Amino acid sequence: MTPAPSPPVALLLPGQGSQHQRMAAGLYGHEPVFTAAMDAFFDAAGPEGVALREDWLAERPVTELDHVTRSQPLLFAVDHALGKLVLSWGVRPAALLGHSIGELAAAVLAGVFGLRDATGLVLDRVRRLAGAPPGGMLAVAASRAEVTPYLSGDVVVGAVNAPRQTVLAGPDGPLDKVGRTLREAGFVCRRVPSLSAFHSPVLEPACRGAAERFAAVDRRVPSLPVHSAYTAAPLTRSDIDDVSFWARQPVAPVLFWPALEGLLATGDHLLVEVGPGQGLSQVARRHPAVRRGTSAVVSLLPARPGPPEADRAAVDAAVARVAAAGHPIVRTPVPHDLPQRPATAV
Amino acid sequence: MSAFTVEDLFRIMRECAGEEEAADLSSAAAEQEFALLGYDSLALMEAISRVERGYGVELPEELLGEALTPAAFVDAVNAVLAGHPAPLEAAG
Repeated sequence: MTPAPSPPVALLLPGQGSQHQRMAAGLYGHEPVFTAAMDAFFDAAGPEGVALREDWLAERPVTELDHVTRSQPLLFAVDHALGKLVLSWGVRPAALLGHSIGELAAAVLAGVFGLRDATGLVLDRVRRLAGAPPGGMLAVAASRAEVTPYLSGDVVVGAVNAPRQTVLAGPDGPLDKVGRTLREAGFVCRRVPSLSAFHSPVLEPACRGAAERFAAVDRRVPSLPVHSAYTAAPLTRSDIDDVSFWARQPVAPVLFWPALEGLLATGDHLLVEVGPGQGLSQVARRHPAVRRGTSAVVSLLPARPGPPEADRAAVDAAVARVAAAGHPIVRTPVPHDLPQRPATAV
Repeated sequence: MSAFTVEDLFRIMRECAGEEEAADLSSAAAEQEFALLGYDSLALMEAISRVERGYGVELPEELLGEALTPAAFVDAVNAVLAGHPAPLEAAG
């Protein structure tokens, strides 16, 4: 009798809210593939790359990490670089699923966009969004249907993360008002680290003109299936051709749970979260397929920010778990004198 | 006998999760970390809020960071209930 085939790997790429100071920085200079991918991003970012790298590695960043000009590019870069690291192990994912900006990183890993083009698109996006009215995001322990009657004044559902985890987005004042009403009604709410009202119409004016930028870059059919959290289905040719689909992502709601359900409806998977924190892992553990143990979750990084060694220990533990799940892994050896600033891109 | 049991907590956790997740928590889950059971801080905050309302108690804020497993959570709630003058009946 042959052993049961191991479930294929699917990569989960987190988005806004998962960023934190020095996220994954413990791997920089230690994991050659990750380091090269981060440097390729900083290089592609041109003059802004220097400030992005400095703020990423700083204990006290000049611009705080929750600001759109830091959270979005750095989440994109870290998700992408961790994805490249997993691919370098010889793991071939059966699917990719990104949350928010994580979907753009997934699209790059699947070859839809080149890294250089996508970096330019992310920087274009954040320059536009930096001028948007101040706003924020509020996670509510309630279903979409439960919160809907409380929405008002440009406050919308920005993300459906789990059946009873809904994230609202909107301008600061109205969002605070909706939050107060929800708390008075007995709902538990928590602010998501974000200084922008992602996935709400507040960002609509700022996204005008972004489509032309997407139209100007090469887009290819993905080499790996990318499950979109905007359509809760695999990316289609028409999604890829539709520049407004990409340009409007900061305005459109993230349907992460429906997308996860769609992914797991295709069969069981070993879900590997490639990004800072374990936010998507925790949500995925609530899925019935994971609860009954036929699908499983592995996080590449620690749940909470910690010392650099903790990042490396978490990757080692993840490697052991992915290998134990039946996926042979070949790691790139760490050279003794890995330069801190390799000159060449991947 | 404890005033608040692991089964009570699991019932509340199931209410927090909603039907779609259909959380089926085995007795082994009592010793597992909440994070591994898919309960992030928001879900735990809701569980705490439901225990407070259902049992008429005020739980310390530290509970969130310190009670990492359902078993530890239940112990902490019972410690508060024991020091509480007149624990209310579970409101269901």
